[in-house]
Amino acid sequence: MSDESKRREETAGLMEFSVENLVPFGPIHPALKEPEYFKLILEGEKIVQVIPRIGYVHRGLEKAAESRPWVQNMYMFERTCGICSFVHSLCYGQAVEGLTIYEVPRRAKYIRLIIAELERIHSHLLWVGLMGHWAGFETLFMWVWNDRELILDLVEAISGNRVHKSMNAFCGVRRDMPENMEDRIVERMKFITDRAHYYREIIDTEETMLARTENVGNKINQETAQKLCAVGPMARYVGLRQDVRLTDPYAAYDEVPFDIVTRTEGDVRALLRLRLDELVVSANMISYAVKHIPEGPIRVKIAPIIPAGEHSSHCEAPRGEIFYYVKSTGGRTPDRVKSRQPTMANIPAALELLKGQTLADVPMVLTAIDPCFGCMDRMSFLETESQKQWTWSGEQLRQYGIKHYFPDRFNSPNPTKFKAVP
Amino acid sequence: MSENLLEQLQTYAAQSNSKVSVPRKGETFIDVDQGHIKEFISHVVNDLRILHLATITGLDLGENIGILYHFSQDKDTIQVRSTVPKAQSTAVSIVDIIPGAILYEMEIHDMFGVTFTGNPWINQKLLLPDNWPDDLPPPLLKTTKPAEIRKRLHLEVERK
Repeated sequence: MSDESKRREETAGLMEFSVENLVPFGPIHPALKEPEYFKLILEGEKIVQVIPRIGYVHRGLEKAAESRPWVQNMYMFERTCGICSFVHSLCYGQAVEGLTIYEVPRRAKYIRLIIAELERIHSHLLWVGLMGHWAGFETLFMWVWNDRELILDLVEAISGNRVHKSMNAFCGVRRDMPENMEDRIVERMKFITDRAHYYREIIDTEETMLARTENVGNKINQETAQKLCAVGPMARYVGLRQDVRLTDPYAAYDEVPFDIVTRTEGDVRALLRLRLDELVVSANMISYAVKHIPEGPIRVKIAPIIPAGEHSSHCEAPRGEIFYYVKSTGGRTPDRVKSRQPTMANIPAALELLKGQTLADVPMVLTAIDPCFGCMDRMSFLETESQKQWTWSGEQLRQYGIKHYFPDRFNSPNPTKFKAVP
Repeated sequence: MSENLLEQLQTYAAQSNSKVSVPRKGETFIDVDQGHIKEFISHVVNDLRILHLATITGLDLGENIGILYHFSQDKDTIQVRSTVPKAQSTAVSIVDIIPGAILYEMEIHDMFGVTFTGNPWINQKLLLPDNWPDDLPPPLLKTTKPAEIRKRLHLEVERK
């Protein structure tokens, strides 16, 4: 077959193959939720090796940052993620602030803490909902995402936006807290605390969640987790007390009393319990912060030129430690900005967690690390004995997992025994 | 950083003729040459028990490419700095000491063209597209212009 006719066949003959009208359809397409690719090598039902291929949404932000002014970069790096957006601008801002002589006002530090913790609550709720979805417990997904809306409403009331808050500025924040918000925030935090306790009860008793999460995931020990550079909940669920908020406090974390949550069971359910407990910790922190927020200025204006030097900063994002390194040569644009996201750090640990697990557990384990590239559309499988090779979409894999655990689930329309929202 | 830890770091640095500098409180930079990098990192990880490697950063320094290993323990950051010449950019992999460094080394290979000897996955692409031309210089070098990348990857959109 000639090259030309082969190309026509690939595009189904619908269009002429040329650079301008080629539409790639596959891992990189807006219709898929998020693009990514894992190659799983199987031995029967068991996984022996996983090879990741990421970078489908790599947009060259680090290169772009080198040609943009310092301030513009802050709002560009906020666009790295659509869930934990605020913490990126916070971490980049702290790295740059370290090169200047200015201090961040105390009130701004409290506002940064409140937004960062609200973000953590909504990110964790989103994740709990997704776990319900992949396990085949859609009711949990609906409940949790309904609660998440309450948090997004609060974020919108404070910052004016639901997702990209654009609240940070160098040495301060752009907007003050609205007046008379205290009671509303405290009331919602109490509601979220109640809901977190209710969800804890569900995951400990409901049969779907028990079957899909208990003793699922290859157990790793503390030293392995550290050497695989695991961060955030992935380090805390094996018992490591690793949390930047506690070990190297930034914003107002040194003034607000809290303790981090750790667990030692080492399975997927431990991660669920840990993140649900963290909801309560975050809710308490926000309630404390809004009651004790000091009066004063919210921002210090700084010059657009940053002194020469290099500095790094790290923050605790909902998924773990994020890291920024900036290098300045004293100009209006940075010489180099390096950003490292928690999912990147957690992938080696996730690959270790998958080893020895069955194919049906893949969606649960991969979702358990709370990956920023969520739902594994398009996976290819290689069976080592028969050399059989095939490809599945994420939805096919999800249904395979649910059928594996509950063969009769697709016949009964209402599988859950739980009552409606109390 | 505790006095004891800094002293130990200086001892290990002296063994490999490395220089220790503390520009700001809590930030330590150590310049180690490529021949001693594995030995020094092995001291940091196995003897000093500083196990958390935040990431590895690549830097374009003109003639050379800088490689920065960011270790951290509580409030201290320990940044081990090394350089390789651009003309022959081969570095030593630390994957057998810290297995989690595998993706960070692949990232630097993609972005700066540094080959890490000893990294089993180094010839796979991690972040760059599959159709990245072999003769196009790595994207994060200062000499590579975004316009050139767009042109070579056929990402140029005709503006009317």
